[in-house]
Amino acid sequence: MNRVLTVARLQFVAWPLVFGWPWGILALSFLVNLALFGSIGDVDPAPVTGGLSSIYIVMLVACVTTITQDFPFIIGLGVSRRSFYLGNLLQFGAQAVAYAAVLYLLAVVEEATGGWGIELTFFGLPLLLVDNPVLRYLAFAIPFLLLGLLGIAIALVFKRWGVNGMLTLSAAAIVGFGGLGVLATWRGWWPAIGGWFADQSGGALLVGYPALLAVPLAAVSYLIIRRAAP
Amino acid sequence: MSPVVTVTDLTKRYRGVTALDRVSFSLTENRIYGLLGRNGAGKTTLMQILTAQNFATSGEVTVFGEQPYENERVLSRTSFIKESQTYPSMGVHHVLRAASLVHPGWDDEFAQQLTDDFRLPLRRNVRKLSRGMLSSLGIIIGLASRAPLTFFDEPYLGLDAVARQIFYDRLLADYTEHPRTVVLSTHLIDEVSELIEHVLLIDAGRLLLDAEAETLRGQVLTVSGPTAAVDEFTRTGAELHRTRLGGTARATVRGDFGPADHDRARTLGLMLEASSLQDTVVRLTTARTGSAPAGAEATSKEKFR
Repeated sequence: MNRVLTVARLQFVAWPLVFGWPWGILALSFLVNLALFGSIGDVDPAPVTGGLSSIYIVMLVACVTTITQDFPFIIGLGVSRRSFYLGNLLQFGAQAVAYAAVLYLLAVVEEATGGWGIELTFFGLPLLLVDNPVLRYLAFAIPFLLLGLLGIAIALVFKRWGVNGMLTLSAAAIVGFGGLGVLATWRGWWPAIGGWFADQSGGALLVGYPALLAVPLAAVSYLIIRRAAP
Repeated sequence: MSPVVTVTDLTKRYRGVTALDRVSFSLTENRIYGLLGRNGAGKTTLMQILTAQNFATSGEVTVFGEQPYENERVLSRTSFIKESQTYPSMGVHHVLRAASLVHPGWDDEFAQQLTDDFRLPLRRNVRKLSRGMLSSLGIIIGLASRAPLTFFDEPYLGLDAVARQIFYDRLLADYTEHPRTVVLSTHLIDEVSELIEHVLLIDAGRLLLDAEAETLRGQVLTVSGPTAAVDEFTRTGAELHRTRLGGTARATVRGDFGPADHDRARTLGLMLEASSLQDTVVRLTTARTGSAPAGAEATSKEKFR
């Protein structure tokens, strides 16, 4: 456990970079949107930007680089794969929890200020979750975890099996999703699928299913890293 | 004294290549080992397996009496500095801070002093360091971590002669003050021959030699003089290498030579000198594979017992 904490601490040694990238890019995206919609004036309907996704994408990229760069470095220093993996999850989880709280607060401020004075929805979530504060918080936090674990899992496939592993994974994904698409078209399932998604609550789509997907991803990544060479 | 490392019948096969072939040896506490061998001999693979960064195909490895794989008790007491080490994009001072967190025996003051010795810019991003600076960074981590078992895998790439000498000096001084087991893998054998207490020589995945440096020094001799006399003398040992020039010959022989042998050489009218460690390693390696380059003016003949 001690070594797990060491790894988590170690990944914050260059903290200006760790925090600077995601928040810097989000701030930039926000300011550009603010300037853009502020200068346009009244827009109907009120603008909803996708700018919030930038921080999620930066965090996904950060997770990929923890495997491609931090993994060889930290294992090279003399840490077990288990400690590295758990420590990495801990530091990423801590960021997800903290970042989601900040985003939640910014969304509240956004509402209180009437969309920064220009009815701009930047931090507000696309699906309506305002009713339940816990669910609303989780809707900010859980997607971080899902995307982060996805980045870790894909980077680990590359780390362990190289380019051939990535090609196999891509081929499997194309065949798998493509096959399902063909099947759905052939059997005329698309309306039913669309209806199923429409029936799901925002909570299920942003919290429930991502959480359900994140758990097996975390387990698979652990099995891959156990036999990966740095 | 219990061994720090025990390796039994260690074999590592990659697709079609045997990197290590039933290697067995042990390392005792608080000594400096020279792990020598040509490029691709299996040195790095061996050290990677000992530090659980790579996996053995078969055989047993114990470090501090335990399996090293996923074992924090072992890993926290080991430091493995390799030439191919990569670093994330961060400042040199971040890398040193990270290393200090991982190694319980880390000495910050020593690291600071070494940074000054090597003139390493602390604030610079590691990605912007020259090859030599990157090597000094590895050396600083390896020395300041004061790990009871420290591996240096060709740590000097791109380092100038002055910096290499600083490395040898600091290593020896710190080793004297804080004894630990050091494994030094290097091609610059002559430079470290004074440092090395025990020699492990591997070639093509096989352990060729596992001997005390001191013992080895008297075991391998170069004898030169009239061909007939050289023939006479080399009968008592294993001839590793010979060059001929006219009626004289110069041969490298390995055997248990004592004062009597030195007297015998003198009466035969032969020149006898101890081979340097580098010569010994070259002769032993080429005697086995028979791939010594033959000089234009000399013919070579190698045999091995």
